[in-house]
Order: sequence, then C-alpha cells, then structure tokens
Amino acid sequence: MTTATQGQTGSQAQGPATHQDAHAGNSGFLATNIDALINWGRSNSLWPYPYATACCGIEFMSAASSRFDLARFASEFFRFTPRSADLLLVMGTITYKQAPILRRIWEQMAEPKWVIAVGACACSGGFYDCYCTVPGIDEIVPVDVYIAGCPPRPEGYMEALMLLQEKIKDESYMEQRRQGLHQKVYIG
Amino acid sequence: MSHDQIQNLGPWAEAAVPASLSDRKEAQNRLFPILAEKFGATLDPLDRWGLTAVVAKERLRETIFFLRDDPQWSFEVLVDITAVDYLQWPGHEGARFAVVYNLRSQSHVAHRMRVKVWADEEDLDVPSIHDIWKIANWQERETWDQYGIRFVGHPNLKRLLNHHEFVGHPLRKDYPAQRRQKLSMNDPMVDQLEARLRTLGYQLLDSVPESSPMVEDVLKGGR
Repeated sequence: MTTATQGQTGSQAQGPATHQDAHAGNSGFLATNIDALINWGRSNSLWPYPYATACCGIEFMSAASSRFDLARFASEFFRFTPRSADLLLVMGTITYKQAPILRRIWEQMAEPKWVIAVGACACSGGFYDCYCTVPGIDEIVPVDVYIAGCPPRPEGYMEALMLLQEKIKDESYMEQRRQGLHQKVYIG
Repeated sequence: MSHDQIQNLGPWAEAAVPASLSDRKEAQNRLFPILAEKFGATLDPLDRWGLTAVVAKERLRETIFFLRDDPQWSFEVLVDITAVDYLQWPGHEGARFAVVYNLRSQSHVAHRMRVKVWADEEDLDVPSIHDIWKIANWQERETWDQYGIRFVGHPNLKRLLNHHEFVGHPLRKDYPAQRRQKLSMNDPMVDQLEARLRTLGYQLLDSVPESSPMVEDVLKGGR
C-alpha cells in the first residue's frame, strides 16, 4: 500500500499549484483508503445466493430468520439470481449430475465473488463415499470458508460470515485491478 | 377397537381394521396354488416370509394382469420395481439377476406380495410393463440404470438417476462402489422437450442442436 500512496502523491505534485496548496499533506491518504472503503462496503453488504440442496438449507432458513438473524451481519438480502449475488452458499450434497449446474451458477456471478461450503457434504462429500457424490465442492468451484457440521448450527453460519468478512477486509482492490481480476470473463 | 366403534367409522370401517397376520397368511395360501396352476409359478425359497412368487419371463405380463385385475386379489398398486444381483450370494446357482415387482392391494387390506423374474447375464431382456402401470416407466428406467436390465418394449429406456455420460451400472456387485465418473455437461433433454411440445400441439420447424448454445455463440462471436 505504501507504493500506491507514493505514486498518488507524485502525480498530484504535477497538478495545478492551487490544488496542491489546498490539499497539501492530505492527498496521500486517498489511495490507501480506497481499499479500506471498498472492503468495508463489500464485507458489510454481502448478497448471498442460497444454493440449498439438502438439510443444511433447512437449517440455514432458521439461521437467517428472526431468532438468529443474519441481518446483524449485513448478509440478509438473498438474491435468487446469480447475476446480482456475490456470495454463493452451497448447502448440501452435490452429485456429479448436479456439478455442471453449480459450476455454471458460479460462473454467472459477477466478480468479486466468494463461496462458502456449508456442512459436511459440501466440504467433503460427507458420509456419501460413493459413485455419485462429489467429494467436496472444491473440486468444482474455489471455496473461501468451510463450515463443519451435519447440519451446522446457526453459530456456524455466523462465524463463517465473520471469517469471510475478515478475509474480504484483507483483500486489495488495487491489487485485483492490476491483475485484471475485476474484469475476468468466464466462458462455458 | 370395539364393534360399535368400527360401525361409527362409516364406509372406511373395513380399511381401518388391520388384517391379522393369520388372515394374510391364509390369503397367501389360497393365492399361490392358483398362480402355480395358471402360470407355473413357484414359491421363492429365498424369501423367509413366503410372499414371493417366481414366474418365467414369458408369463410375467399375464401374471401381473391377473394379479391386478382379478377382483378376488386386485393388487392395484405397484410399489416398486427393483433388481437383485446374486453374484456373490453364498451357495447361489443359476441366473445372476432377479427382477422383483412389489405389489400391494388397496381393496384388500395389507395384502402384499412380490413377483420375481430371473434374468441371466447372457439374456438380460425382461418384458416391460409400462402400459400396465404408468409409474413402471420410471421404475424400469431406474432398474436399467442401476443394474442394466433391458426392458423390452419400453418407450424410452434411458438412465434416470445417473448422468448420461455414466458408463456401467453402479448397483451391480462387480462395480467398485467408489468409482466416480465426472460429468462434463448436463443432458439438454431436447428429445423429451420436443416430444412434450408435440403432444401439446406445437409443430417443430427446426430441431434444436444438442449442444450448449452459450458456448457456441461466444466462440463464434455471435450474440
């Protein structure tokens, strides 16, 4: 971050003299804070897409409703289209027949996007050690946070959300821009 | 339950009283000689409850018709069709597979039975009964999918549970239970969509290509 700060200060130095005088000393903060500002916004307005295929989805309904209230973690606005969601919650068993569908849902989500694998089945296939079940959804999509449990308690969802928020706060928007991740396009 | 209480139940009184085990056993004892005489059925020694009749493949359909339509028996419900793989069964000789039809009666309380047909590995053809019960269509597709039994006369014998790129039949004893098979793309099921549209009275002018339109368009630069 220090390099970005210095670069910004350098370009400002070539601007009009009045501008430089008016903001002298403060202009260096701007680029440093973009990450903090964007990460604050992203981590506190997660729009989840609930991909519920089994009993973890039922447990999630309880976690999301008034008693446990996921709205306190600013993750209450459920989207039922991947186009407007940025958090994919995979709750339940994923079979090989289901796998291309899940992959396509993930591809349809716009960057930035995160994935939480909820419960034993999504994390590892659970006790379905057989010919038809995917042993963990990280074979298909990249996963940010795993929640253990069969199904997990509402506290599990809350902890996962808080962990994800911490992870988002560590990300750098400027770094992602440099790598071109913000305009990554998937085909398929 | 007293007699008066049963009277108060009205038309459902008979159904509310469970048939005793001896009643059921007595009914079975009357049924199996009839099946043996008419269709050459035998009692399956592997079934310890004595509820399974084994018939030859060729006589399966008439047996099923008789069991469903005869007012004395009227097994109206086909609960399930499945198969058994006797590959490693201790002391088993003869055909490897058995197709099992589970039947149940609605009008005679708690009357149930099974019909069993042997199918050898060299000759996996078994007559289809999809026209006798509609649900048999999907149950036969499942049995084909999991065991590889071919149902002759079935209109659409495709896999039901496993995906369309799956090779082999996973519930056979010689299929390794943990051999996983990946699917590259979902079955678009265009043939079933077109058939459905035709039954609804639509006329199809051009057939849809059986590939992902998204991939093709993006690659060709269209849309």
